[in-house]
Amino acid sequence: MATAKELAPGAVNNTVVGQSILISGKLTGDEDLTVRGRVEGELTLSRTLIVEPTGVVKANVAVKNAIVSGVVVGNINATESVELTREGRMVGDIHAPRVIIVDGASFRGRVDMGEVEPGRMPSDRSALPRPTGATVRPAVRPGAAPARPALPGARPTPPAAPAAQARPAAAPARPAPPPAPAATRPAPPAPPAARTAEPTRPEPPRPPVAAPVPPTVAEAARKKVVVKKKGR
Amino acid sequence: MANTVIGSSIVIDGEISGDEDLVIQGTVKGKISLKESLFVEGSGVVEADIETQNVEIAGRVTGNIAASDKVELKTDCRVVGDIKAPRILIADGASFKGNVDMDIPKER
Repeated sequence: MATAKELAPGAVNNTVVGQSILISGKLTGDEDLTVRGRVEGELTLSRTLIVEPTGVVKANVAVKNAIVSGVVVGNINATESVELTREGRMVGDIHAPRVIIVDGASFRGRVDMGEVEPGRMPSDRSALPRPTGATVRPAVRPGAAPARPALPGARPTPPAAPAAQARPAAAPARPAPPPAPAATRPAPPAPPAARTAEPTRPEPPRPPVAAPVPPTVAEAARKKVVVKKKGR
Repeated sequence: MANTVIGSSIVIDGEISGDEDLVIQGTVKGKISLKESLFVEGSGVVEADIETQNVEIAGRVTGNIAASDKVELKTDCRVVGDIKAPRILIADGASFKGNVDMDIPKER
């Protein structure tokens, strides 16, 4: 036992799979696991899996957290989070409530964050311990975003309120995306109009669908009316 | 040098191979083949055939052990299986059941 401690001075109560080690089969455990070598087969942990840059995991992974700086081929199912770091490379599907993909990481596969409820997410996000999760998240979420614009269009009245609250929070968080969405789908900017003009006129916003920006929508509508009156 | 530790709560069912030292505090079933040393600590449980250079056992091992250099059974270890190695040490207090083959003819 003394020899073992000499061998592993830094690694106390932590499992490490060294660089030249290959484990093939089924691996389960209740502690953190650091992989610098290769693990193939099935990997189940109730704690955190760390795949270091030299590590290769070809396995179906079920863990609480996963931090991938090496290579993972297979699906990761995490109860908490999956993070692909700058050096991380992965092919497979990710299923986790929090998925962080850093610039430089390469990934091919599907991401499933589970139920993405517009009204529920803000509270979840504020409860997040790490700020990185909050900043990165919006970047990953646009995939789910298209569902939201549909809401105000379908029903601009009360139900739109929570969605409208959620959107301003998400919009400033992502710097790059806004221009593109604004150009492609005119729906997102609509909520402010829905919020302000909600009680008075729930239907008018619909006819002038062509106008993209809400304030201008109102102005344009008035102008049109005026012009028509003048014309007549 | 990187070294590998299988923690006490870890269970591996399969095969482990490599070129470096391996410390087992948890459970390994299947097969272990290394070119270096294997340490089975007090909390370690191995149900596997082992092929290494050196083995030091303080925990429990069930399976055949073949070492190219040395096998050491420490106090309080429990080993069931055959051991084949040029050098085999069994400490006082160790419990062992199986055949021992030191391959003496080869040495001389």
